[in-house]
Order: sequence, then C-alpha cells, then structure tokens
Amino acid sequence: MLLHVVNRSPATSRVYQQALAGMSPDDRLLLIEDGVQGALPQLVRYYTGLEGRLFALKEDLESRGLLGRCDASVQVVDVDGFVELTEEAERTVSWY
Amino acid sequence: MRYAILLMGAPYSDQASHSALRFARALVARGHRLEAVFFYHDGVHNAARLAAPPQDEPHLVDAWAALANEHRVALQVCIAAALRRGLLDEREAARHGKDGVSVQAPFELTGLGQLVDLGTRCDRLVTFGP
Repeated sequence: MLLHVVNRSPATSRVYQQALAGMSPDDRLLLIEDGVQGALPQLVRYYTGLEGRLFALKEDLESRGLLGRCDASVQVVDVDGFVELTEEAERTVSWY
Repeated sequence: MRYAILLMGAPYSDQASHSALRFARALVARGHRLEAVFFYHDGVHNAARLAAPPQDEPHLVDAWAALANEHRVALQVCIAAALRRGLLDEREAARHGKDGVSVQAPFELTGLGQLVDLGTRCDRLVTFGP
C-alpha cells in the first residue's frame, strides 16, 4: 500500500488526475497545503471512489479557515497522523 | 524507522519548506530517526547563510540548522543546483574565484548520489515539492 500526497487544489490543477491514475485499489491519498480544498463538499467529487482512503491535513485546513468544513467522507489527520500514514505505507509518492 | 526528506520548494515562495520542517519535527518527536534532508532544485535556497527574514517570520535556515544540531540530521544540498543559484561553500567559492561564502555548516554541498543512497538506505523517503 502506497501513500500518495497531493498539494494542489483540484479547482486549480489537474495533478490530482495523475495521482488518481497512479493509485492502486488499496492506496491512500493525503491532501496537504492547497490540496486540502479538495476535502470540501463542493470539490470532493473529484475523489469519488476513495471513501475510507482519503485524508486531509488538519493544520493546513486550519490555516485556511476550512477546519470543520470537510466532507464527511474525508478523514482529518494532524501532522502526527501524517507521519503515521507514512509509517503504514510502504512508500510515499508526492504529486505537485 | 529511518527517514529522509527531499525538499524541492524554495523558502518563502511556496509552502513546501514549512511543510517539510513541520513534518521533520513531528517525525523525530515520534521517535523516528531523520537521517537527512536533501535540498534539491529551488529547495537549495533553504541553505542560504545570508538569509535575513523579518523577525516576526520563521527563520527557515536557522530552523534547519537547529534541527540538524539537535537531532544529528545531515543537511545535504545538491551541489549542481546550488552552484547555479550562487550558493557556494568556502571550498567552492575558492574554486570559482568568488569572494563570498553563502553556504556553511551544518549544510553541506553533496552530489545527487547522496540522494540515491538515502533512498536505498532509509525506510522512508518523503518528498515536498513546490
């Protein structure tokens, strides 16, 4: 299982498409930096099919005033949880 | 676990350096070993000795140095990316006839082979791009 990390919003970048194309069925996706916008109910449709495997970084949500506004299907993790996700994954792949 | 971080974003241009620093601090706090941070592409500007950001902003260069000193983290800067951008240690400054030095310990200029070595030697390599 790999952890994929995306730091761009799906509203402004198509890099999410490459990330999705590179993902295996049990891989996980973590949204960081501007990528956390993808966790909003209005944008989460880009990540359909990742239920239970989609994460967003709490600190980056908070600094953008978006904490508490995520779609229910997204699991919010803090930076400690980010490290934990990298522990659990065999490798980490960053898309930017 | 043994970790390494690859940082390719310039300081103060995008969030990559701050993300990488926060991640680095969190992983050593969890008891992991951070072997090295490798600075590549515009990420080499994190090694700029003369950086003088406003006092109410995080000083990234000093923060990396503090992390290195506290946790014995190697700060490896890609030499080819650094020289192009005017980042030279004493040895390279002498070699190229420059009278200023813009990189100093604990940052060290190294080759890309070091990155390959980190990739094979560490359990995890995490990249922060621009």
